[in-house]
Amino acid sequence: MKTISIRRLAGLAAAALLATAALTACAPAAPASPTITDPWVKAMPEVMKDMDMTALFGVVSNPTDETIYLTGGTVSDASLTETKLDAHEVVKGEDGKMKMQEVKDGIPVPAHGSVTLKPGSYHIMFWNLKKPIAVGENIDVTLNFSNGSTLKVTAVSRDIANYAG
Amino acid sequence: MTSPTTPDNKPNLSRRAFLGSVGSIAGAIALGGVGGAAGGYALGRDQALANVPNPLDAEPFYGVHQSGIETGVQAHGVFLGFDLKPASTREHGRRLMRLLTDDAAHLTAGKPAAPDNDPTLADQPARLTIAFGFGPGFFSKLGLAAQMPAGFVDIPAYSIDRLQPQFSGGDVVIQVGSDDPLTLSHAVRQMSRTSKSFCTARWSQRGFVRAAGYLKPGETPRNLMGQVDGTINPKPATKDFDAQVWSTQSGWFAGGTMMVLRRIAMDLDGWDKLDDHDKENAVGRKLVSGAPLTGKLEHDVADFDAVDDVKLPIIPDYAHIRRAAPQSATEKFLRRPLSYDDGILDGGVPDAGLLFAAYMANIKTQYIPVQDRLAKLDLMNKWTTPIGSSVFAFPPGCQPGGYIGEGLLR
Repeated sequence: MKTISIRRLAGLAAAALLATAALTACAPAAPASPTITDPWVKAMPEVMKDMDMTALFGVVSNPTDETIYLTGGTVSDASLTETKLDAHEVVKGEDGKMKMQEVKDGIPVPAHGSVTLKPGSYHIMFWNLKKPIAVGENIDVTLNFSNGSTLKVTAVSRDIANYAG
Repeated sequence: MTSPTTPDNKPNLSRRAFLGSVGSIAGAIALGGVGGAAGGYALGRDQALANVPNPLDAEPFYGVHQSGIETGVQAHGVFLGFDLKPASTREHGRRLMRLLTDDAAHLTAGKPAAPDNDPTLADQPARLTIAFGFGPGFFSKLGLAAQMPAGFVDIPAYSIDRLQPQFSGGDVVIQVGSDDPLTLSHAVRQMSRTSKSFCTARWSQRGFVRAAGYLKPGETPRNLMGQVDGTINPKPATKDFDAQVWSTQSGWFAGGTMMVLRRIAMDLDGWDKLDDHDKENAVGRKLVSGAPLTGKLEHDVADFDAVDDVKLPIIPDYAHIRRAAPQSATEKFLRRPLSYDDGILDGGVPDAGLLFAAYMANIKTQYIPVQDRLAKLDLMNKWTTPIGSSVFAFPPGCQPGGYIGEGLLR
């Protein structure tokens, strides 16, 4: 038994040494800003009164050592909307019903982790759409983060049955 | 070609653990299997366990050609036929193909599509391939008739045909194959969701070969009449395969192929009335070995000049393989058929047959002459009836950032 535990310890020490070597020898300069994969926007083939909104979804990753908050964004094409994009969440209200609300401090993206924006959960909310968004259209957006960084995103619009936000 | 890749979100451990568990099962069966000597057309137990499928096996999506054609046939397959909505434009075609390409690239790698309503069904690709083809209507409706590849023609009407609209035609085909029926169903659902913004569904045709791992490497699948089907196919990754299947036309279609999809209903009750001798004469091959009637082994070359002791051809004039045999070097193509068995028709007749999918660089020169001969004379016509027919031009593959059909639609 004693031998085994010593071997285990030795193994751990070796692994730790390797990890240190990797960090010092070949660690690339860590990107300092968040990234997004598979960004998409719920298509809005028709824009009507009180139905002039949609939302952006995707997986936001944070490669830094500290939690960063996704605070909102802007749409590049002012003819689509001029209203600032809000960070939203869906929570259970006091009446027991799910409701969406702004996340005041922004959506937390954990250090060296990711957060998935999806229907029924965190999302980036579009308001006051001035024209429809057809399925398959590309929408250019700039996302803002609490550390002052920004991220330019081209999100493709998708037809999905879920209510967007 | 199977590349045992592991999707990014799957640690290698799970693959090892899976193989480990299969190993123990294999060991247990081997121990218990002493004395189970197999003969005739049954597999030996050792052979049966040699080709273990892995649910994490993924086929490449990006490449010079679309996957799913040179790919070893998967256990299950679905062909989805769609029509473009009225007033579709080339821009709609572009959006459709960009979104479908993105879905297919995700799903074939074992990742959920973006968005995917059922992401828990995406993590075991089981050699999933998703390929796309354009029917004649795709070209005409989008103002692209001048870009139709040379030799891309519809199959003429034949007197043997009993074509039904619900199995025929279509502007777009999506060909989905996987060794796992649940993975397949999820991919089909996702492709249908994405398509419905631009298309209306026309038909869905589902078929199968043996379960994954049950075909020996290089073994020719059998159809529901018990015949080997596809013996004279070109072998993947050979000059013959390239020459028969992939187009070398200049322009957007280079590296593409054409598919003829014929739904062939089988009269299995009628076929049952034949004895083995009659069945072998009808097709021209031996039932067990698949060898031509003039040979011993499946891949022996048929001798159409050989006669018996009363000077009658050993392979009869009406035999399927004589009528289907290429009469020139160009009359060759890839057969990648699936069987279908959709229950029973009125009167208890089996609703079963073959989804005859054939691939070639040029339908007009490689396929039509063969089909013409078979329609005129082939004893198998007595028990087989074409009830669906369609043709599609499959664009070449694409690279990351691109989409299938970009050369035509851009």
